[in-house]
Amino acid sequence: MSATRIRNRKIFAIFLLPAMLVLFLTTLYPMLYAGYLSFRSYDLAKLFVPRVFVGWSNYQQVLGGGEFLHALKITFQLMAITLSVQLVVGVSLALLVTSRLPGMGLIRSLLLIPMMISPVIVGLVWLFLYFPELGYLNYALSLLGINPIPWITSPDWSLWAIAIADIWQWTPFIMMGTAAALTSLSPEPYEAARIDGNSAWQVFWHVSLPQLKPVLVSLLFLRAIDAFKIYEIIFVLTKGGPGDSTEVLSLYIYRQSFTFWQMGVGAAASFLSLAIIIVLITLFFKSLHRAPAHGG
Amino acid sequence: MNKPSTRQAFLIYALLGAALLVFLAPVYLIVSSSLKPTPIMFLRPPAFVFEPTLAHYQDLFALRPFGKFIMNSLIVSLGSTAFSVFFGSIAAYAISRIRHKRMNDIAFWILSMRMFPPITVVVPYYIIFKTIGLLDTPLALILVYSTANIPLTVWLMKGFFDEVPLALEEAAAVDGHGAVSIFRRVTLPLAAPGLAVSAVFCFIFSWNEFLFAFMLTGSEAQTATVAVMSFWSSDALQWGRIMAGSFVILIPGVVFVFACQRWLARGLTMGAVK
Repeated sequence: MSATRIRNRKIFAIFLLPAMLVLFLTTLYPMLYAGYLSFRSYDLAKLFVPRVFVGWSNYQQVLGGGEFLHALKITFQLMAITLSVQLVVGVSLALLVTSRLPGMGLIRSLLLIPMMISPVIVGLVWLFLYFPELGYLNYALSLLGINPIPWITSPDWSLWAIAIADIWQWTPFIMMGTAAALTSLSPEPYEAARIDGNSAWQVFWHVSLPQLKPVLVSLLFLRAIDAFKIYEIIFVLTKGGPGDSTEVLSLYIYRQSFTFWQMGVGAAASFLSLAIIIVLITLFFKSLHRAPAHGG
Repeated sequence: MNKPSTRQAFLIYALLGAALLVFLAPVYLIVSSSLKPTPIMFLRPPAFVFEPTLAHYQDLFALRPFGKFIMNSLIVSLGSTAFSVFFGSIAAYAISRIRHKRMNDIAFWILSMRMFPPITVVVPYYIIFKTIGLLDTPLALILVYSTANIPLTVWLMKGFFDEVPLALEEAAAVDGHGAVSIFRRVTLPLAAPGLAVSAVFCFIFSWNEFLFAFMLTGSEAQTATVAVMSFWSSDALQWGRIMAGSFVILIPGVVFVFACQRWLARGLTMGAVK
């Protein structure tokens, strides 16, 4: 038996190695390369020739300029708006679609569609809706007696415009995860709470919510990690503007790298945001460990 | 939970009806606008009844080699799916079966690889692919998409392999089967739904992806999402084409929602929900 064990170990190692190698070459290596770039300066004329070592100057430029911190602030603002709305609306929808009524399966499927749409298409269709003169969103609001809103042309509204598109696409995600967790909760505490004469709201607040909490925390961390990835919707709708009102981190990095061709600065900013995301990812994994049944 | 009363049922359907209206209106807008003649595309109130035209779809293929871009999307998506599901599932099997205290760390490390923002590695990819001559080739995108697809497959398949009873594998070992043979004949067939789910997720992710395709391809390996975006201009004429292209791109995702509803939660939440 022990000879088989040892042979199996070898086979398992062979199974594991290709995936690790591919990930190392295609993820870790580019990241390390970004680290290398972050200490170099670029010569515009010789864009792809090795460049001069500049020490911490790229990092000084990133942290000293205020634009990076501004982008960080916008990223967290957007995250706060979208996550809180997605949580409340997503959990409410989950409670509705898990009721024991006919047609719930179909409704649940239909509500999941936004999540499966390419983010660039989401950006384009919301651009179509947000058009100041021609867009149907302002038309729909005018039917309710609301004056036209300069969704993507005013810095006061642009972040909300981005948030609405993101909320539209990802609220179904929270709904889906919460609904799956709700259906797997054990029924006994409900029966007991019902018999004790509690209202539906009390049952939800005191019985369901505490059981859902670990799953909700994991779902929110996943959304928070994704919030750092948001790119396409903003790229299509506002390109970070007007001004810098919607310039999140990914847009800032894009602009440094491809508008100003300061790839070293872009790499330094990338490296700094990686540090923040590593914290979030670690917290997400901790939250998975804490959820004993993984919701199911 | 108890069955709702008639009044509660009415309220639930009303609220869900409102939600469906909000979440599906943009999808309806894509479909209807793609079939509307341009002069009535921005009518107020919108034209709900109109004579549909396929002109925008014809334009899509007449003005750009859209067929080629769809082929590119298919090649890249299927290529990355095959590559990722193969290497991802054997790696997942190893992680699921090796008893070592470090295995969890390796699993988490692999999963974390798909969580980093794409923008942070775009510049290195661009420079590396330029250096080795892979810019504007499907192979570059297949490799890049695998960085997201392999971790997803590993994570999903590990869950499925964990659920296969070890007793079955041990019985096959007693019959004299080796590890590879047990994996192929016993374990893999039992985890087949996992393979299908992983494949579909890999495909949809690759099919929908924009940023890498936009940065790493030119006219040769351009994918459908980039092609649709390239129609964007202030010219109202283009919107029919954009909507037609958008509809073509959203078909696989919508089909998937209905085909794999059961597995969506597990796949999209990385196993936080089963």
